[in-house]
Amino acid sequence: MTTPTIESLLLAMADDELVLGHRNAEWTGHSPILEEDIAFSNIAQDEIGHALIWYTAYEKLAGRSPDQMAFERPWNEFTCARFVTYPKGDFAYTVVRQFFFDVAEEVRLRSFLASSSEVLRSSAAKILKEEAYHRLHTQGLVERLGDATEESRRRMQAGVTAAYAQALGLFEALPDEAVLVAGGVMTPNIELARSWIEAVAPVLRSVSLTPPVALTADAGGRRKKHLPDLEQLVTDLQSVYRLVPGGAW
Amino acid sequence: MTDTQWETYEVFHQSKRGEAHEHVGSVHAPDAQVALQYARDQFARRLKCVSIWVVRTSDITATDYQDESFFSQSTDKSYRDPKTFGAPDHL
Repeated sequence: MTTPTIESLLLAMADDELVLGHRNAEWTGHSPILEEDIAFSNIAQDEIGHALIWYTAYEKLAGRSPDQMAFERPWNEFTCARFVTYPKGDFAYTVVRQFFFDVAEEVRLRSFLASSSEVLRSSAAKILKEEAYHRLHTQGLVERLGDATEESRRRMQAGVTAAYAQALGLFEALPDEAVLVAGGVMTPNIELARSWIEAVAPVLRSVSLTPPVALTADAGGRRKKHLPDLEQLVTDLQSVYRLVPGGAW
Repeated sequence: MTDTQWETYEVFHQSKRGEAHEHVGSVHAPDAQVALQYARDQFARRLKCVSIWVVRTSDITATDYQDESFFSQSTDKSYRDPKTFGAPDHL
């Protein structure tokens, strides 16, 4: 019986999308350029829309609604990667993080197209259409900012150095992953990580940005080992809902 | 002081194939490809859209508002207007 395991996969992806979407929304009104502010806020909303797709799939199996999962769960019950929980940093870090996430999502969603699970196949196809434009946008920023001025280079390299090992934490194995892999539901995270490394390498190389040499994946999030950054974020995210729990707005 | 803003691109939006592209506004962008992306995010998310053009603002040659005589009709040209042709209602 694989249902509880696929639930944990759906929840991990939903939590990644919600938390990163919320972090990115912190740029709304603060981005360096008005046009980028609108474009980036758009991406943030898209990610929250993807979270809704995964939470809705989760609800069908587990019976708990997207609102319950997003607004009533304690912060230390989330299973997002630590990667998405870190403060937004400067815009270079944000751009690098979103680019790394876009590639990770693309790699994962592509692998779902051949999944034995119908909900994974159909949701992946839907989300991939939108993700292609996220990647176009963030990869374009990496290619331009990575190679523009001395300051932009320095900041982008700092972003890559900080975010690379964090991003590998997206591929931390799920607790019962072996069952899902055996059932043809998903590709092992270790293989997805390899595909991700291969996919980001040529983009970074094209603008002479270099990944850190010695690194350990910043794992722990899938096992709910989080840092206080997530507590701050979830407190913020749930603050309005908690004024009138279950209220209609 | 140097202008740190990117240059602007004028945005033209087409809501249906075959219709004219209409000017809807402008965006700042570092190049034309990015201008298309920004134009999409700002002008095509709520309007139905099948095509967008972006044109660098500095590539547009325009008349000068000061040069009013460019458009003036100083002599009576009303005889040139087709105003005596009435259009029947059923047209």
